[in-house]
Amino acid sequence: MASSGNKNINAKLVLLGDVGAGKSSLVLRFVKGQFIEFQESTIGAAFFSQTVALNEATVKFEIWDTAGQERYHSLAPMYYRGAAAAIIVYDITNQTSFDRAKKWVQELQAQGNPNMVMALAGNKSDMLDARQVAAEEAQSYARENSLFFMETSAKTANNVNDLFYEIAKRLPLMQPASNPSGMVLVDRPADKATGASCCS
Amino acid sequence: MEGETTSYPPIEPSTFDLIVVGTGLPESVVAAAASAAGETVLHLDTNPFYGAHYASLPLNDFVTFLQSHSQPSEVPEAESDDSIPLVTRSLYSSLEISSHSDEPLKNSRRFNIDLAGPRVFLCSDSMIDVILKTGINQYMEFKSVDTSFVGDVDGKLMSVPDSRSAIFKDRSLSIIEKNRLMKFFKLVQAHFSEENEEDRIPEEDLESPFVEFLTKIGLSQKLKSIILYAIVNASYDQDNIKSCKDVINTKSGISRLALHHSSVGRFPNANGAMIYPIYGQGEVPQAFCRRAAVKGCIYVLRMPVVCVLKDKEYGTYKGVKLVSGQRLFSSRLILAPSFTPLVPSTAQASKSHDAGHTDAKEKVARGICITNNSIRPEVSNCLVFFPPKSLYPEQIALVRAFQLSNNVAVCPPGMFVTYLSAMTIDAVEGKKLLTAAINALFSIPFSGNDGSRGIDNSSENIEVKPTLLWSALYMQELNKFQGALDSISNMVMPDEHLDYNHLLDAIERFFQEIYPGKEFLATSSQSNEHPNYADSELDS
Repeated sequence: MASSGNKNINAKLVLLGDVGAGKSSLVLRFVKGQFIEFQESTIGAAFFSQTVALNEATVKFEIWDTAGQERYHSLAPMYYRGAAAAIIVYDITNQTSFDRAKKWVQELQAQGNPNMVMALAGNKSDMLDARQVAAEEAQSYARENSLFFMETSAKTANNVNDLFYEIAKRLPLMQPASNPSGMVLVDRPADKATGASCCS
Repeated sequence: MEGETTSYPPIEPSTFDLIVVGTGLPESVVAAAASAAGETVLHLDTNPFYGAHYASLPLNDFVTFLQSHSQPSEVPEAESDDSIPLVTRSLYSSLEISSHSDEPLKNSRRFNIDLAGPRVFLCSDSMIDVILKTGINQYMEFKSVDTSFVGDVDGKLMSVPDSRSAIFKDRSLSIIEKNRLMKFFKLVQAHFSEENEEDRIPEEDLESPFVEFLTKIGLSQKLKSIILYAIVNASYDQDNIKSCKDVINTKSGISRLALHHSSVGRFPNANGAMIYPIYGQGEVPQAFCRRAAVKGCIYVLRMPVVCVLKDKEYGTYKGVKLVSGQRLFSSRLILAPSFTPLVPSTAQASKSHDAGHTDAKEKVARGICITNNSIRPEVSNCLVFFPPKSLYPEQIALVRAFQLSNNVAVCPPGMFVTYLSAMTIDAVEGKKLLTAAINALFSIPFSGNDGSRGIDNSSENIEVKPTLLWSALYMQELNKFQGALDSISNMVMPDEHLDYNHLLDAIERFFQEIYPGKEFLATSSQSNEHPNYADSELDS
């Protein structure tokens, strides 16, 4: 959920899209500035955070990756809960991945956080020769469904930071809490605090 | 459940170390532990949701799930001699629904109803340790249980003085009682501090019934009742040692008390000893499943297993056949408690077992009440304990009740959900226990007289009780099916306890049995989940 306080906003962001569309690559490029050509399907990492500084606020994205649970359409409700933003990713060289992206949009709309900022990302924009999905087609679909749209390339970094920056700008800064919030358990914060002070 | 008709691509690969059927909490913890230990795991569920018998569901789906698991499935014909059909056992019975208002069902999707309520976390219990060390604490948020009450014979609810500050603030206890209780808490603390050997409670006291020890140190009946039932949560009447099925000895009584005390203040932002996950218990199996997925476990919901495949030559377990027709193979199979492979010999054995032992089997009587108001004004989430004999003279089992509000996102605003449970051997007694507690807590509108408030039975009671809008009572089986073939194991049903500790112990023991020498849920290093760039800054 996007919770604001002192112009620091924490926002949960979820990634959706077909296997192989480049969800993890986008995150990896955004968070670490890296690209791995033959990235294995997502295992081993599924939770990242990254901060974007706007003029009026600082947005800390808590980015959830699917951990592969989308492969057989088995994402847990936990994944969507409290998400302030979602990026639906498809591969511009693969028409099926675009059709599947539309299904994910429907699913998100059904899960229903009406304030959620949704972005449609046509990834692999560096592979123009193999393009199957016209940018105009995706753009008009996005407009009809109130998504904002960008073509990105995790490989060349084209538009990747812009995508997250645009999402950050669109987050309602003073969003009324639509979900109840509770406490996140942190192990022995008191101990850690003492540890830090005695070391300094 | 939005009528999913997605057809899946075939599951790849087709051979695993472990196949787990059912995403209940024990299955999910084992899937996470096995994946973390390097095993290849496939985790399937028949349902379109996570959690199986540990799920939190919309009201309509909750009712449908209970109904569908209240009768055994049709026994299919064995297709061939190398396959054993998988059948569903009925695990719930005597389901009784009373609807006094259509508001709850109209808002069905706004509920997250626990199938296995009431259940809470103690802040210092071993389940919280596992949640922290696996890093799944970042997937969940919690709220404190505000307070606990214990019901007395006059139908009054007293606050439970479970800590020193609570004793201090309590207004119903006499000075003598306060001093004795304070002294007792100090005694227990000294016992565990291990500083002085002479501070330890003598061994013979540790082995004796806790109730006798409490009497010996001079605690009043009221205080004994609070400690035995509201803190230690003894299931049965401890004053009646002869007929009590579960006599708590001093050793386990004081360790439970110590756990309670160490839970208070473990997390600076938690109010008391207990917490509950926002969106319900069903979040817990989901979190373990996500953990398992991060470690490579493959997830497929909406995928029933139709039969278990046997090796023709040796008669041993080989794999499973899915409803899609696909055959998958593994060295080991773990099944949710509702599934049993129908081996001809065990089919007969289990039949005779049912006939012979039905009346002696302990069950958990569970109830869910939806009300229009809180048991206590200004209290959102609270526990209420009705000790034996407090509701009626023949009451032999403790009734636990747990009220939750909209602030944990389990019901719409303006409504409250209360879970009840009690141990019983038959449905009639079980329902009597729950109904007595419901009558003590709520006012029940007369049916056929809608619109007007029901007549409060205890009209001398000035407080206005919350009105019951909807309720469901049911019996849940506890016994576990014993494996039909080597390499196939059944997991456990939700137990009768209020916390997760017994369950986690059973899961860990099970894991150690099937994977001797492997570490049970190793600590997740920060770098695993946040591969060395946890908090990088980026300026745009």
